[in-house]
Amino acid sequence: MKVKKRKKSSNIDQILVSVLQRRFKSITEEMGLTLLRTTRSPILNEARDFVTGLYDAKGRMLEQTEYIPVLAFALQPVCQYIVEYFGDEIYPGDVILHNDVFTKGNQLADIAVFRPIFYQGELTAWAACKGHQADVGGAVPGGYNPQAREVWQEGLRIPPVKIYEKGILRKDLWNLIFANIRYNIVEEDIRAEMGGCVVGERGILSLLERHGKEVFHSHIEYLFQSTEKMMRREIEAIPDGIYHGQSYVYYDGFREGSRFKINLTIEVKGSDISFDYTGTDPQTEGFVNAPYGASVSAIILTFLMLVNPEIPHNEGIIRPIHIHIPEGTFLNVRFPGASTFGNSITGPHADAILKALSKALPQRVTAGWNRMLAFAISGKDTRKNTPYVDILFNALKGGSGAIHGVDGYDHIGLINCAGGILAQDPEMFELTTPHLLMKHEYVTDSAGAGQWRGGLGVETIFKIYGEEVTGVTFGDGVDEEARAFGLFGGKKGSLNKLELIYPDGQIYTPKSKEVIRGIPKGTIFHEIAGGGGGYGDPLKRLIERILKDVRNGFVSIEKAKEDYGVVIDPKTLEVDMEKTRRLRGIG
Amino acid sequence: MGFKIGIDVGGTFTDFLLTHEDETAQIYKVLSTPEDPSIGLMKGLEEMSRDRNLPLPKFIKEVETIVHGTTVTTNAVLTYRGAKTGLLTTKGIRDALEMRRGVREEQYNNRYTNVEPLVPRFLRYPVEERCDYRGEILTSIKKQDVHDAVDRFNAEEVDAVAICFMNSFANKEHEEVAAAIVREKMPNAYLTVSSTLLPSIRFYDRISTTVLNSYVGPILMNYLTNLIRRLKEIGFRGVLLIMQSNGGVVSPEIAIDHAAVTLLSGPAGGPIAGIAYTAIQGYKDCITVDMGGTSFDAALIKNQTPLVTTEGEINRLRLALPMLNIVTIGAGGGSIGWIDEGGLLRMGPHSAGAKPGPVCYDLGGELPTCTDADLLLGYLDKDYFAGGKIPLNEEKAIQSIQTHIAEKLKLDVIEAAAGMYHVINVNMAAGVREVSVKKGQDPRDFPLVVAGGAGPNHACMIALELEIPVMIIPRESSIFCAAGMLMSDLQHNFVRTYPIFLEDLNLKKFQSLFEEMEQEGRLLLKSEHIPKDQIKMIYSIDMRYIKQYHEVNVIITREDIFKGKRTSIANKFHPEHNRLYGYSLEEVGTPIEVINLRLKCIGVTDKPKFLKMKYRGPDPSKAFKKKRRVYLPDKKTFQAVPVYDGDQLRYGHEIEGPAIIEQVNTTTFVSPEFSVICDAYGSYTMVLKSRENEFKSRVVQ
Repeated sequence: MKVKKRKKSSNIDQILVSVLQRRFKSITEEMGLTLLRTTRSPILNEARDFVTGLYDAKGRMLEQTEYIPVLAFALQPVCQYIVEYFGDEIYPGDVILHNDVFTKGNQLADIAVFRPIFYQGELTAWAACKGHQADVGGAVPGGYNPQAREVWQEGLRIPPVKIYEKGILRKDLWNLIFANIRYNIVEEDIRAEMGGCVVGERGILSLLERHGKEVFHSHIEYLFQSTEKMMRREIEAIPDGIYHGQSYVYYDGFREGSRFKINLTIEVKGSDISFDYTGTDPQTEGFVNAPYGASVSAIILTFLMLVNPEIPHNEGIIRPIHIHIPEGTFLNVRFPGASTFGNSITGPHADAILKALSKALPQRVTAGWNRMLAFAISGKDTRKNTPYVDILFNALKGGSGAIHGVDGYDHIGLINCAGGILAQDPEMFELTTPHLLMKHEYVTDSAGAGQWRGGLGVETIFKIYGEEVTGVTFGDGVDEEARAFGLFGGKKGSLNKLELIYPDGQIYTPKSKEVIRGIPKGTIFHEIAGGGGGYGDPLKRLIERILKDVRNGFVSIEKAKEDYGVVIDPKTLEVDMEKTRRLRGIG
Repeated sequence: MGFKIGIDVGGTFTDFLLTHEDETAQIYKVLSTPEDPSIGLMKGLEEMSRDRNLPLPKFIKEVETIVHGTTVTTNAVLTYRGAKTGLLTTKGIRDALEMRRGVREEQYNNRYTNVEPLVPRFLRYPVEERCDYRGEILTSIKKQDVHDAVDRFNAEEVDAVAICFMNSFANKEHEEVAAAIVREKMPNAYLTVSSTLLPSIRFYDRISTTVLNSYVGPILMNYLTNLIRRLKEIGFRGVLLIMQSNGGVVSPEIAIDHAAVTLLSGPAGGPIAGIAYTAIQGYKDCITVDMGGTSFDAALIKNQTPLVTTEGEINRLRLALPMLNIVTIGAGGGSIGWIDEGGLLRMGPHSAGAKPGPVCYDLGGELPTCTDADLLLGYLDKDYFAGGKIPLNEEKAIQSIQTHIAEKLKLDVIEAAAGMYHVINVNMAAGVREVSVKKGQDPRDFPLVVAGGAGPNHACMIALELEIPVMIIPRESSIFCAAGMLMSDLQHNFVRTYPIFLEDLNLKKFQSLFEEMEQEGRLLLKSEHIPKDQIKMIYSIDMRYIKQYHEVNVIITREDIFKGKRTSIANKFHPEHNRLYGYSLEEVGTPIEVINLRLKCIGVTDKPKFLKMKYRGPDPSKAFKKKRRVYLPDKKTFQAVPVYDGDQLRYGHEIEGPAIIEQVNTTTFVSPEFSVICDAYGSYTMVLKSRENEFKSRVVQ
């Protein structure tokens, strides 16, 4: 065989780097599966609102598995903080709890468990799990409290705390924490997170035993570099320059008509990119604020959508990204401000990033996504005489923004989850909650028109026959200006709308952040989640696509003419080419 | 006794296994004919008759059973070439089919589009009608809506109709009213009624499955009608059976009405074959893997029962009929190696397929594949591929790996090929973890059954990666699925939804629902000529703790049902929940909710009997062919190792790794860590040398 021999340039086995990356990924997936199997709260095992990750001794991310992007990068800053905080006092058998938003946490309800991994007596790595808990103390069950003005009204703060030290449970401390949390289920779910970390530890140790410490360390450094290289190449493809983007969050829960500006300046220089939020409005007096951790997650998840989706998720991704969010703005809340709405600011925050980069990456950004307007409902199910709680994911999932070449995704929901959270099945919805579903369909003309149209919004109508029903709205997108924006001539998506039709015929329209108590049995719930923004000039949209949308009732004959300049005969559903040409200004 | 033939139509080859109780089983392979798969099928039958010097009609008269796995329905869905289908559904929720509960599988990919629905919205007709979840009628059906829809369907020349109304699992009345109108006004349309096909809760699952059935129904009907006619013409008088996704077989007449049961039947023969091959050595559990040209299928079998799922998908569309839980990943002989933007080596999921194929086939392929790497490493013999029928071009393979992999990684070409071999093995090991570790099972406790043309070359490395000590490689590994089809029983699945707390169970209703299903099952099996004493019934219930979202399927006994043993049922649920999810709530006394009642009806068929070999002692020297240089991954160097003719190996023969076992369609690489012993049915059993004593006694009794 004619084979050229070559000298190796370093002692890195590049094949092993590929193998390690695959193994890290499958270990975090196994950790995730442990959580899916062992947690009890539906927000964990059904909505999958958690993340599992592996970190090196310094807290740098090796790999993670998150089912919904909002938790991307929610763990690394905390892990690094913990490494610094405990310094030399980290021992085998320690287990550390954390949720505090003023020490890099993203939301109080997201309680994380960290487990240091020791190999041959030396701290070598970390395994961590973080999941959204059913309760975290505070004034209101579940933590969403539109009336909160300080962190303590939202829940219990847990700065890094060793719940186990050297393998021994600190029972008094455990009891102190859980004495301040409403439901027992949270204790069980935290144990499940600890179980997930053990699975992660096992996986890392078997890799260390096979390959040894030195090889492990040198190869993960190479992995970081290789990922960083991929990320830098993506950034290099963005023209150097300074890009501005602005966006607003509407209503703080106190002052009607209030709005808050996100002011973003992005600078791209070579293979580095910086996000500067100087000029962003000061923090609000209510809970419409984001802790630093939540804002960083929002930046990274949005930016990851603009680069090659194949890039592995590790420390290397973050190296070329530089972030400055002044403390005291509502994107980096100063102690002791409230901030439970922080994750929900991801939508408006993403808008600012997409707008800013639309000039630099016109073919990669999407138009605006529909902003989430959620409704959490609770009450008594008289069929079984049990309490019930549900977040109406089916009703809140609107359309995504269009992108160059592709229409927006219909009924996908908020950008933070990007289709990772599912709508309830219609029949399971009726079996498990006292609701009768009357309508759940795409909304005609909800999508922003464009050469590529936005994703369709959804209309949901159901009758409530539970008793003692309370609803909590939290969200945005009900103000005219908050409609999903269009790009390059594309039009806006439709507005969110939510109303309750009481049995006496009276119609009540809740604000976007409000607690509504005493909703009577027989009330009709009605929500329209809006469509996404369109991309490009609607007059350039292919006629057959418009005809297809008209035939399917996604676009009306009137809008086909008005927005797209296509005239369609309502009886034959055929295009009148002559009139169309005239309207579209061709031939 | 006559011949039994298993026929598996694949993307590239149609595989045949011909068995007869007085002969060694024989393998046939012909090129598939995708435009009409029955052409390739007939060609295979002709080859068989020629080999026996018989005219086709004479040979075919001797054939008593043909079991046929077909991909015509699968391909119709994947290529959107199914029937033009109309849907009747409850007013207000006609988009559920297209919404797929709003999932986007790739969350960071904004160019990822939703799946085109099989029925566009303008053919999804809302009908005013409504039942609640208990089956109480809230709004009577407006027949005019159905008439209007049917008129439109006729005008649009719709070939198939699906009917799925909200909560019809609890009351089928409205669906039947609508069905009667469709039958009357569209007598030639293929019709699927959801409450008949799948009367279970979860609207999206049911509507998607119902539509899939109608979409592929006419396709399967045409194909099978045509095939039956052809077979009849040449004088076939035996039994034709069709493979289903659930691992069972079914008569063609029933398959035509339930066309969706064939949708994922392609790999379903594999696990069934795995059970048979491992049972010979006394195993009850195993993991089967099948590595073909483009994909790698893995399945886990526990207690001689493959894992089953009702949450399957085809082309991202939900198919909620019970099917074997088989994990498929994009790894095969044709998988292409490439360097990502970060400079790391990846294998697949893109495949060179049969056309243009691996570079070494010399059919125009330019990108380096797994097969090319296998050739460079000496695992394949360039002069004995497909028994020498396909000469391999090694020069081109070297050039391609050099250009596309080695230069980019600054490696020499052998290191690059070894890297490709390693990475694809790690990918396949991850596929095995998916069916084992992720289901709470430790792969080290299972023998690994390795099949597929490319599988045995990679078997040792997958096993080492997973620390699996024993592997079984059937001699028929290249046509594994065809073999499995011959070992499958007739099977029909039934379901009824009855949501209630276990403690509140109305025994009368509970029992009558099971009786109803039993009756339907007996009727079907009777039409398939199965005598009563060959019928087996397996009863199970889907249950969950209150407030949970996912159910656990628990097998119960007939006595549990008809003697109303609630406690016995609960006692079976708690430990199963604990096994799957790591905890049970027995002590807390959390109420258990019943959701679905299920019945699996099995008609036991006659299986082919394989000829047992005589014990010949451990010396394999009669099968020795020559020595060949192959790459040893642990030593990172080439070494000359003995090559054995697999067809000459006999019961008892032992081989020490490193070695190569060659057959016409498969090559097995035995790495230095393993030794091989041939069992009584010709399977090569590979055992980790350090643990030989534990496993050898199972092979040679």
